[in-house]
Amino acid sequence: MKVNRFIAFPVAVGLLVASSPIFAHHGTAGYDMEKTITLNGTITSFNWSNPHCVLHMDVKDSKGVVKDWIIELAPPTLMSRMGWTKASLRPGDAVIAETHPAKNGATTGISGTSAALLKFVANDHALPFR
Amino acid sequence: MRNIKTRLTSILLTVSVFSSVLHAQNAGKKQTAQIAARMPDFSGFWAIVGGSPSWDPSDPRGTKPDELPMTPWAVARFKAARPPFGAKATFEAVNDPVQKYCDPPGITRLYTYPWQFTLIQTPGVVYMLYEYTGVWRSIALDRGHPKDPDSTWMGDSIGRYEGDTFVIDTIGFNDKTWIDQLGHPHSDALHLIERFRRVEHDTLELSVTFDDPKAYTERFTSRRVFKLSSSPMEETLCSLSEMQAFQDEVMKTTTEPLRK
Repeated sequence: MKVNRFIAFPVAVGLLVASSPIFAHHGTAGYDMEKTITLNGTITSFNWSNPHCVLHMDVKDSKGVVKDWIIELAPPTLMSRMGWTKASLRPGDAVIAETHPAKNGATTGISGTSAALLKFVANDHALPFR
Repeated sequence: MRNIKTRLTSILLTVSVFSSVLHAQNAGKKQTAQIAARMPDFSGFWAIVGGSPSWDPSDPRGTKPDELPMTPWAVARFKAARPPFGAKATFEAVNDPVQKYCDPPGITRLYTYPWQFTLIQTPGVVYMLYEYTGVWRSIALDRGHPKDPDSTWMGDSIGRYEGDTFVIDTIGFNDKTWIDQLGHPHSDALHLIERFRRVEHDTLELSVTFDDPKAYTERFTSRRVFKLSSSPMEETLCSLSEMQAFQDEVMKTTTEPLRK
């Protein structure tokens, strides 16, 4: 799958009902956990730290304006147990990422909790997910 | 003659004292050996199965958090709580002591997180190490509770083996932690009874009884199941600087009204 990092846009892909318990230390009240969107963009940073791993990615909106999306993942120990490392993503990586978006419409989302890790494809390679 | 008598008395006394000490030491060693011999094995890293934010046995998801039999004291505290889970779940103006201050979560709340714990059994003391926040506690096997224990985050724990079950009795808590992820409080009168049983090699069952007359009008008991994990425990500390940075970067953005 060829990913063009400069043609990136969020695509709503429908509803997802979580089948396993979702846990983040702060809960998930700020996110729409029943909605999953797919972002296509470029990683600008990936911070492997507590309380949650956080990545930033540049994503073009429908008007072609580049927006900074902040994606929250699970804490490092849990990400590690799900097969990720601090080197799983690097600045410049072309990424297709699923996320549950913020309810307030901000360009933030959550893609990893204790029990679920949404799909990420980085430079044409799928990262572990569950 | 008098000197000889004094010396003999002194020698007899020394032998007698030495013999008593030796006897006590042997008795202690014997008791320790007996405890060790009947000690069921709880070793391993234990991880929660499923997970639930609540200890109410009839409301594991915390959708009806008002239904725990709280006293007026507890109701007032519960109403003030702004927790991360359950019917009152929120991202805004969070006053969860773990999120706001990186306070120790407290024993029963630790069992609601998706991190592991382990038991290190010695004849006189069992140590429990919790992966989340790196806290630990000791459970004495050879003494009772002090009469008026100091109030601490983890309380004063004593334990005993009842067949294949490890029973932990804890008092002496402070009242700064929540019992769960829903904001339910407890008081410094909390008397906690944990019963661990390894029902299968890979399965550990925990039954917890909360007895806290200042906070709850009835005792209640709930259970959890943990599975043996192949992953070793790793560093998962709560750093206030990291927590605040995360809240500023992610949580505030997700809760503030969107700037057009």
